[in-house]
Amino acid sequence: MRVALRARVFCSLALLMSVHAGAAEVAEPDDYWTGPINSDVPATITGGVVIHARELADLLRTASVVLIDVSNAPVRPAGMAPNSAWLPLPHDSITGSLWVAGAGQGKITPEAERLFAQTLARKTGGNRDHPIVIYCHERCWLSWNAARRAIRLGYRRVHWFPEGIEGWRASGFSTVATEPERAETS
Amino acid sequence: MGMNRPSVRLAATIAIGGLTWLGCQAVAQADDEEAARQARWAQVQRAVFADRKVMDGASMLQLEAPPRALDPALVPLTITLTGTKPVKGVYVVIDNNPAPLAGHFIFGPAADPRTLKLRVRVDQYTDVHAVAEGADGQLYAVAKFVKASGGCSAPAGAADAEHLGQMKLHLSEGFTAGKPLQAQLMIRHPNFNGMQMDQLTRYYTPAHFIRTIDVSYAGGAVLHVDADISLSTDPVISFGFVPRARGQLKVAVRDSKQQSFERSFDVPAG
Repeated sequence: MRVALRARVFCSLALLMSVHAGAAEVAEPDDYWTGPINSDVPATITGGVVIHARELADLLRTASVVLIDVSNAPVRPAGMAPNSAWLPLPHDSITGSLWVAGAGQGKITPEAERLFAQTLARKTGGNRDHPIVIYCHERCWLSWNAARRAIRLGYRRVHWFPEGIEGWRASGFSTVATEPERAETS
Repeated sequence: MGMNRPSVRLAATIAIGGLTWLGCQAVAQADDEEAARQARWAQVQRAVFADRKVMDGASMLQLEAPPRALDPALVPLTITLTGTKPVKGVYVVIDNNPAPLAGHFIFGPAADPRTLKLRVRVDQYTDVHAVAEGADGQLYAVAKFVKASGGCSAPAGAADAEHLGQMKLHLSEGFTAGKPLQAQLMIRHPNFNGMQMDQLTRYYTPAHFIRTIDVSYAGGAVLHVDADISLSTDPVISFGFVPRARGQLKVAVRDSKQQSFERSFDVPAG
């Protein structure tokens, strides 16, 4: 038991260090990131806090947190034969998350922007001091962009979790199959 | 530079403990992954083949695929029919791609179906299945596990309107009546799947991909392909055919925007 715990701590540390080492040279862009989505990310986010797996686990235990996954959702391409199979694998989010796909694009569509703002407002009850955690995958800029977007919407306790779903699982925490949020029809 | 004894012992304990833990995790994980792969294949089978039974195809066909692909957007596959039963078609299934059926290849009377090659996109680590359909309608599958990821969202370059639909053909040798030839067909087409980002606008490029390919020789059908978004950019397909008399190899391609491209190739004497 103790050995397992030690190994787990060791692995988490190794992961943490590797994440830091990989991200050390990347500066925060002035605006949103519009380069390749899966590339090295900065170590910081101005106006928000970077959080790591163990701290996130503690935060989730002790506070009411709005947990947002901004991973991309697969969309059936137009022009596929009507009878051809479209079977994207189930998407696993950190347990307790809302999945708001599209919120992390460098150039966001108006629909995705509205859905993101509405979801944050609804889940925080309009309280700009409510803690928010935003993530996607490891080495993924979508969460960085979405965190900046939340900060610009005026939220004062935005946490960015750069290790993402992979880092969460590698630290031994659970994920669950999740469906993307849909815009409310008005 | 040497460590003192207690710290060596501590380091060894941590290392051994860590390795044991990782080892146990790895075994448990491998079991989980195998179960997940089987469950996914069962789901994909239902979607593609409905209630039809799919049997083990080891005596019917072989599939060659790189265990770890250099480029996930260009994964080469070779399907070789090794059995004696006549085969009317081959399905290529990439289990974990969002559109798992990469292509359905239907052989015509003028085909030599023994060797089929294509290049596909692989979105994440996956089993690839090649499924032969016998003339009697029975299905036979073989699989290979391919480690590649990101093939579906890999940048595909700009659409090249000028060259769209252009084709090239390589033949293994010249015409000899009744002697099978292997043809390599190259089609210029971006085969956009809707998941690639435009490098300039940063919006997603709308899907635009090849839906069907028809190949005939001297009027006799060689191959019909129902393709999907998993074929690589600028598809390359190799197939065999048997020229009985002198004639042309004709290729007709139709894409998801209902654009058609046709080209006829001479088959020079051997």
